[in-house]
Amino acid sequence: MAPRKKDQPGFSRRTFLKTVGAGGVAAGVLGPKAAEGQAVKAVGPGAVPIQLNINGKVHRLEVEPRVTLLDAVRNRLNITGVKRVCDRGACGACTMIVDGETVYACSTLAIEMQGKMIRTVEGLAEGTVLHPVQQAFCEHDGLMCGFCTPGFVTATVALLEKNSKPTKEQARRALDGNICRCGTYARVLEAALDPKASGVRRG
Amino acid sequence: MADEQNPPAAPPPSGPARTWPPVADRALLGKPIRRIDGPDKSQGKAKYTYDIVRPGMLYGRLLSSPHPYAVVKSIDVTPALKVPGVKAAIALKDPAGPTAKIWYQGEEVAAVAATTEEAAEDAVRAIKVEYEILPALATVEQSMSANAPVNFPKGNVSAERLTLRPDKADVEAALKASAHIVEGTYSTQVQTHTSLETHGGICEWNGEKLTAWVSTQAVHATRDGLSRALQMQQSDVHVITDYMGGGFGSKLGPDVQVVIAAKLAKEAGAPVKLMLTRKEEHLITGNRPSAYAKVKAGVDAQGKLTAFDAETWGTGGAGQGAGFNIPYPVYAFGVLRQRHKDVFINAGPQRAMRAPGHPQACFITEVVVDELADRLRMDPLELRMRNLPPAGPDGQDLPTQQWRKYFPMAADKIGWSRRHATADTGSGPIKRGMGCAANRWAGGGSNRTRAACEILPDGGVVMRIGTQDIGTGTRTLVAMITAETMGLPLTAVKAAIGDSEYPWAPGSGGSTTVGSISPTVRIAAENARDALFAKVAPSLRVEPAALVAKDGRVQVKDNPAKGMTWKEACRLLGVQPISADGAWQQGLSSSGTSGVQFADVEVDIETGITRVKRVVCVQDCGMIVDRITAESQVYGGIIMGIGFALFEHRILDRNTAKMVNPNMEFYLLPGMSDIPEIDITLIDQPERGPVGLGEPPTISTAAAIANAIANATGARVRSLPLTPAAVLAALHEERSGGTR
Repeated sequence: MAPRKKDQPGFSRRTFLKTVGAGGVAAGVLGPKAAEGQAVKAVGPGAVPIQLNINGKVHRLEVEPRVTLLDAVRNRLNITGVKRVCDRGACGACTMIVDGETVYACSTLAIEMQGKMIRTVEGLAEGTVLHPVQQAFCEHDGLMCGFCTPGFVTATVALLEKNSKPTKEQARRALDGNICRCGTYARVLEAALDPKASGVRRG
Repeated sequence: MADEQNPPAAPPPSGPARTWPPVADRALLGKPIRRIDGPDKSQGKAKYTYDIVRPGMLYGRLLSSPHPYAVVKSIDVTPALKVPGVKAAIALKDPAGPTAKIWYQGEEVAAVAATTEEAAEDAVRAIKVEYEILPALATVEQSMSANAPVNFPKGNVSAERLTLRPDKADVEAALKASAHIVEGTYSTQVQTHTSLETHGGICEWNGEKLTAWVSTQAVHATRDGLSRALQMQQSDVHVITDYMGGGFGSKLGPDVQVVIAAKLAKEAGAPVKLMLTRKEEHLITGNRPSAYAKVKAGVDAQGKLTAFDAETWGTGGAGQGAGFNIPYPVYAFGVLRQRHKDVFINAGPQRAMRAPGHPQACFITEVVVDELADRLRMDPLELRMRNLPPAGPDGQDLPTQQWRKYFPMAADKIGWSRRHATADTGSGPIKRGMGCAANRWAGGGSNRTRAACEILPDGGVVMRIGTQDIGTGTRTLVAMITAETMGLPLTAVKAAIGDSEYPWAPGSGGSTTVGSISPTVRIAAENARDALFAKVAPSLRVEPAALVAKDGRVQVKDNPAKGMTWKEACRLLGVQPISADGAWQQGLSSSGTSGVQFADVEVDIETGITRVKRVVCVQDCGMIVDRITAESQVYGGIIMGIGFALFEHRILDRNTAKMVNPNMEFYLLPGMSDIPEIDITLIDQPERGPVGLGEPPTISTAAAIANAIANATGARVRSLPLTPAAVLAALHEERSGGTR
């Protein structure tokens, strides 16, 4: 469906939200083809069936449209590596990689993530062999209590997949969306800059 | 804090003299050893309380008071029970009873448990509460003003107490005789712990027995607290903390939320997980109290500190104290006096926070010392060196007071000789400066600590101790000390911690964990190993005392070829494992640390923004057990100190006393781009045994940064945090009359 333009008569913030929000949802639930040409179909507030592709595996679940990607993954699928800390996109503990980009899963609706490739910290190691970034975090002690660590590891993986040799400034910038309270930053940075972190997996 | 946690107990049991292995023989101790739980944490496999799911588990949620000062007139939880999925809803305030009053925002009013978090949220919103809103006190100024309403039973301000003598005449005479005087008012803000894993737990009943997975720094104190609150036998409560996401002093008991989770679980007949929201975490789980000091201090013409007179106050929120002792006890002022008052406001009560009282006292004292040096036109480092406590009769400083050695070391590393005298007179808006400060901390250990070690017939070793790893690396330390004592690789031993059914160990507070558990684990491991030697000796036809455990073997000390592998030795146990206890003894750990920190900063005098370029730290902690995790503690302390110096600030609305920034985008914490180059020199004191390190490194960072900013700009900021606005205001004041 063609999005309504902002200067159309009768536009209000409410109709804008309704159109864009529900349109997005409908497209998500039905897939782009099925949604094509259909009238706006509101979903919710009750649970609706959705599919999420997480770490290469498709999960079918029922969630209310208001459920975030983070809560869907943690509370419905019991994938608990990523954490909820600030719950409003300020700390990065919930970082996931969606279609190659880092997202704050606490501020992303699960229903909108259908058809996308979602990666979490659980998808990084191969069996018992740690991902090189995880290995670097262990070697440099880029973790203390460990609560922020999955988010930092995931953000570092996303950085190094785009830029295998970041400068110190680039690494700092890429990891600036994550907060650690124990104060591991100095060693997280060392881990991110360790050439081994962006190298091939060992084993 | 150590004293609150560990009141003096019976004298320790006597036993054989214990020692650490000679430095040359150590395979693990003192070496850089990687954290054993790093792989689990980095893969997201480590299960925190927040991650645990029990069969049939419900989600609990609090209804927290939106008002800082109010009376609950009525509560109706029945609408909550009508929300689909809700299994329990309880009122926590009795409108007819003494609990009707709300003293601070976020106080618990009611709670629900539901099958999903979303349903629990809806249910909380459905609860009907009528409040009578009362005028709240939001600031110390409001509480201290003569026409303020009296909101607290014992008044808004405590009686003044003289925390440091001598009498008035001495101080005033000494100040009068001083060549130079500094007089000013200094202050530090309220800082919240902001643990990343919020406070909370999961409570599961099995008949009258309770299992609680709790995010806590003290499994035993949490067990005891739950049994008291729920009027249960201690033996019927089991507390488990496998992993926990930060506490910093705020998680030393069950608090209200875990007791409420237990009540909800009973009511609903199902396990309940109740983790606080981020907003509640800021509001009700404690904070570092504010500190204010009106100081008058003097120095003589030769640079001898003469007198320090302070009138101090601060707030720990609703009904809580805000004590701190100044001058911070590093420099020898001639005579001292401090008169202190606690001021109460309608805000969440304080709790111990990483080095309680110290960063505040250190900031105030070290800034005053710098100002006195400016008056004298003396290098502030020189003034510090002249006023350190005198050395002992042998010309040596105490091992706990090594500042005379550390100051020049750190000065050399940061390039103090290049420091300019007052303001940076270079052109351009970016000004550079350096500052320094010292710290001390007691640490120590609890003589009540116990551990139990098992050696299994297949060669396995398990060390059980009811301590917990709060991110400091305790699990790794337990494994290292056990493995070292058995002559085994780290992977061959299991460190079983975080369980109230393991032998007693203190809460992880006051930097006492390492001093408590290291000797105890060592002794339990030695006892178990010696029992194995007794079993093995006859088959080698030697005395047990002739045996050593080394490199995965049990062998004769003077004839290493005569022996057997560890596994062969354990096989001789048949089906009977060795079980040995360990009780803490004096001599394997000590107390007292000292350190110094220097900061090198850049300040943009057009924007007021400070960038810390470099922090140099020299710090001791007795015998270093694990060099990697010890250094990480220092990094962490310094970074938390940077937050205290520049960013963190609990802001209350001055009209309503509601917190304006109970989140993580406006309660500012340091991020990756705020981290300077950090240069750490850890001083090993192997002869002293381990001393705790969690707290000392966070004490002097803010003071060093404040002094560096003044050195860069020529303007003095006497309050924390050192925000751009505060720096600009000081620069403005300096231009129009002077801040110094």
